[in-house]
Amino acid sequence: MIERELTFRIMRYNPDEPEKKPHLQEFHLTEEPGMSLFVVLNKLREEQDPTLRFDFVCRASICGSCGMLVNGRPTLACKTLTKDLPDVTTLLPLPVFKLLGDLSVDTGVWFRDMSFRTESWVHTDETFDPDAPEKRMDNAVALEIYEAERCIECGCCIGGCATANIKPDFIGAAGVNRVARFMVDPRDKRTEREYFEVVGNEDGVFGCIGLMACDDNCPVGVPLRDQLAYVRRKMASAGWRYQKV
Amino acid sequence: MSRYDSFVTDVLVIGAGLAGERAAVEAATQGLNVILLSLVPPRRSHSSAAQGGMQAALGNSAMGKGDSPDVHFADTVKGSDWGCDQDVARLFVETAPIAVREMAHWGVPWTRVTKDEHVYDGKVIHEDPANAGLITARNFGGTAKWRTCYTSDGAGHTLLYTLDSMVLRLGITVHDRVEALSLIHDSERCYGAVARCLRTGELRVYTAKTTVIATGGYGRLYGASTNAIINEGSGLSLALDTGVVPLGNMEAVQFHPTGLVPSWILITEGARGDGGYLLDKNLHRFMPDYEPAKKELASRDVVSRRIMQHIRAGYGVESPYGDHVWLDIRHLGAEHINTNLREIATICKNFRGIDPVKDLIPVRPTQHYGMGGVRTNIDGQAYGLKNLFALGEAACWDLHGFNRLGGNSLAETVVAGKIIGEQIAKFTAEASLDVKSSLVEEHLQRQMDRVTRLRESRDGTEYVYDLRREMEQILSHHVGIFRSEDSLQDAVNQLSDLHERAQRLGLRGGGHGGDPELDAALRLPGMIRVAYCIAKGALARKESRGSHFREDFPHRDDANWLNRTLAYWPEGADEPELRYEPVKITESPPGDRGYGEATRGPDSAKP
Amino acid sequence: MKLQKALSYSPRADFIVEVIQMVSGLLLVLFLWTHMLFVASILIGSNAFNSLSLFMEKNYLLPAAIVFLVLVGGAHIGAVIRRIPSRWAEQKIVWKHAKLIHHADTWSWLFQSVTGAAILALAIIHIAVVTYGGIDVIYSSGRIKHGFLVFYAVLLLLAEYHASVGLYRIFVKWGWVKRHKLHWVLGVISVLTVGIGATVLWIFFTMGVHA
Repeated sequence: MIERELTFRIMRYNPDEPEKKPHLQEFHLTEEPGMSLFVVLNKLREEQDPTLRFDFVCRASICGSCGMLVNGRPTLACKTLTKDLPDVTTLLPLPVFKLLGDLSVDTGVWFRDMSFRTESWVHTDETFDPDAPEKRMDNAVALEIYEAERCIECGCCIGGCATANIKPDFIGAAGVNRVARFMVDPRDKRTEREYFEVVGNEDGVFGCIGLMACDDNCPVGVPLRDQLAYVRRKMASAGWRYQKV
Repeated sequence: MSRYDSFVTDVLVIGAGLAGERAAVEAATQGLNVILLSLVPPRRSHSSAAQGGMQAALGNSAMGKGDSPDVHFADTVKGSDWGCDQDVARLFVETAPIAVREMAHWGVPWTRVTKDEHVYDGKVIHEDPANAGLITARNFGGTAKWRTCYTSDGAGHTLLYTLDSMVLRLGITVHDRVEALSLIHDSERCYGAVARCLRTGELRVYTAKTTVIATGGYGRLYGASTNAIINEGSGLSLALDTGVVPLGNMEAVQFHPTGLVPSWILITEGARGDGGYLLDKNLHRFMPDYEPAKKELASRDVVSRRIMQHIRAGYGVESPYGDHVWLDIRHLGAEHINTNLREIATICKNFRGIDPVKDLIPVRPTQHYGMGGVRTNIDGQAYGLKNLFALGEAACWDLHGFNRLGGNSLAETVVAGKIIGEQIAKFTAEASLDVKSSLVEEHLQRQMDRVTRLRESRDGTEYVYDLRREMEQILSHHVGIFRSEDSLQDAVNQLSDLHERAQRLGLRGGGHGGDPELDAALRLPGMIRVAYCIAKGALARKESRGSHFREDFPHRDDANWLNRTLAYWPEGADEPELRYEPVKITESPPGDRGYGEATRGPDSAKP
Repeated sequence: MKLQKALSYSPRADFIVEVIQMVSGLLLVLFLWTHMLFVASILIGSNAFNSLSLFMEKNYLLPAAIVFLVLVGGAHIGAVIRRIPSRWAEQKIVWKHAKLIHHADTWSWLFQSVTGAAILALAIIHIAVVTYGGIDVIYSSGRIKHGFLVFYAVLLLLAEYHASVGLYRIFVKWGWVKRHKLHWVLGVISVLTVGIGATVLWIFFTMGVHA
């Protein structure tokens, strides 16, 4: 195998030095077998520029830390192998989220805010009885909840969404999927009407214009289109029957 | 003293993984103010990576019938090679079922018992229809019953997301991208921590009635580890650096039998629990030769050792990344693999380009878990310093002794969180916060000085990443699965030298703002000290127990070593000081584990 | 909640606008297809075309169609206008975004807003011409011969593109069918519609030549 010389054009920006405009810096390194962007970026930091900022945690596509634009496409850097990349690759941080420096963005704050707005917890008045056996649940329902719960909050669906790029309050596919997770959960006692007030609007599911970049880019394959459509139909029926009090 | 941000709270929890969040929820429920500090957004914590599940003796599934906390207790103590505190183990097994159900109440979509029959290892299993809809369990190593509750392939993920939803619901303050640098203390009592904002690089002070360390493991001290890159043992060095808080049993390091070669990403024990085989280079299933009873599902220390033993005997598959064995789950079928073991399929595809439905998975034992940690009593209170608690993997509670059972770590996080959280709440309700500002400023100043010296390279120009790699290699080469006197002595000597060099770090970049090189440089000396404790403890312990295996002392020695190592790092010292304390035996006297006898060779090797 | 929002609180407003957009869009697509079928009567012969147009004139279907278009088209424009980035800065963001992420469906949406605006202009001209000039084989073919061929070809393509992408978007959003199947079905319908339209145009064009 002939070793490839890879070129990475990486966006550099330090919010502490706003006078320096964001710019692309070129790095070169030799490809190794089985190399991922996790390996590449750490090598660049350790061997070429120790100030290079980026985020990794699990490096196994579980934690959702390393979402970025790889040649324009929102994806997880840890699961991007160099063998699938051309000789020259451009790395940009995810749009929409606050830029912390270079490739590092503040997805955590965005998702926390979204979680608060969608009230992402099981709403119930029941109290836990430590002596009682657990409430039964059909395994199919458990699987359905898990299907939505699998979202790892990486933000690829948000960064790739045209609407989220221009509407700061849009909760995006991740937000709608989050609502779907609680809607299918029989433990959550919220009524359709209550859900409607949270997502039955332009910042929620009716803000989606159906471009489906979210569905095309989700790195863990959450069926976002199905979830968006499910919530849309539910909310349409809630909207239809909505009575003004 | 320059201006700095300062926060006051009742309870300061350092680390927002499962253990930290569970304790925070308990304290907040009881009306206390809590601040959670986290290196990363809480949902990115390494807890989310635990795919397998958590043990709790519910006994709902057909293969878990007859299970009880007593059986769970016996498995745990046996697994620990009688190195755990049995009063802790008892408390743990009794609480685990309640903790699981509580998590279900809060929203975890546990996989449930279904009426369908399924096939396991050639046998058809019929579930009791009366139990349909109750929380089911899967098989894990070292257990007498199927006891590991799970959510498809994402137990840790769903537990963490659910617990974090409780943190949201209770409105608990979370400061993410913040790293604690040192505990504020006067050698008697802990008053909080000096921390650094990883966004801006600014130092802050948190003062609290009670401080809690829940920072998880230290896997990243080893070069090859299944752990997330944030698992650098920062909480352990926080405690060690006080000079008065000991780390317990640091030499007890667990190697997971199946790390994916060569990215060392974990292939969950669920793969073997659900019926996967380990094969050698001749595609021979070798585990039954060594462990006729438990086969692939002996405890982790044993399976790891057997794999290495088999590789050493020349049966490993050669590869550029060292010899390995195969994990075979092909016979489980595409449907099972793509639902219950989907994460494995994804990992194999993404990180190795193979499909476990039709390909063999290359695996090798990889550093996975530290049984050791900040030594606490049964209430979670750290030894040596008042108003300081620790729990989860960061602590040595000591539930795991010298080997942790799969499924007991996830269980420990929420069970200990529940139990110790309550103790924290009780303790804090009585505590007051009277801290001298001079003490706070003294600790803050010390960290500010460190930052300045590093930025200006005043002490030297050693490069943090070079030293770090050396530390990783020392541990990987000398303090691995098979250990011996000379090699360990080598490790201790090299770490001593490395620790000295770590005092002369200097930055190559500017170190301004949230600079990653500065992050690493502030962390490294503490990491090396923790590594030193591991190596020195291993050198001193002249026996084999659980995961600590000495080739020169291959047997357990209860007469001399039925005790726990306590490693202190007295202020100003240049090496740790080891002391020992007895383990607490209340119910189960030391006996034979029934697996993993050191001398046993493979049956196939017999004439 | 802020006071100005509390005073004008209407939780269903966004939902209703969304429904208006969808229903008006569907009606316009239906209109387009019916229109194409009517026009296609020329394929049967000049007499068929002329009697159909006479029938429409007699029954006031022509003015009815114009009223329909003004109302439904107006509602559609009113509803979709909220989607179109109104500020220059937003426009810049979406175009940059589309260029960056290499995503076909994102481009199609940008084209949709452009074609929508173009259709509005062209359709007004078309309606004016038809109303003023009347519908008849001779008039129509004459118009097409003398300069309107390109105009109609462009309008046909734009309208069909816009309608087809719009339909696709509705089905995708509500989740009634699989995406790639939808691509295929709509592709076939578009080709058919454009094919019919092109044939009709060609017939009129050659008629115009012979006249």
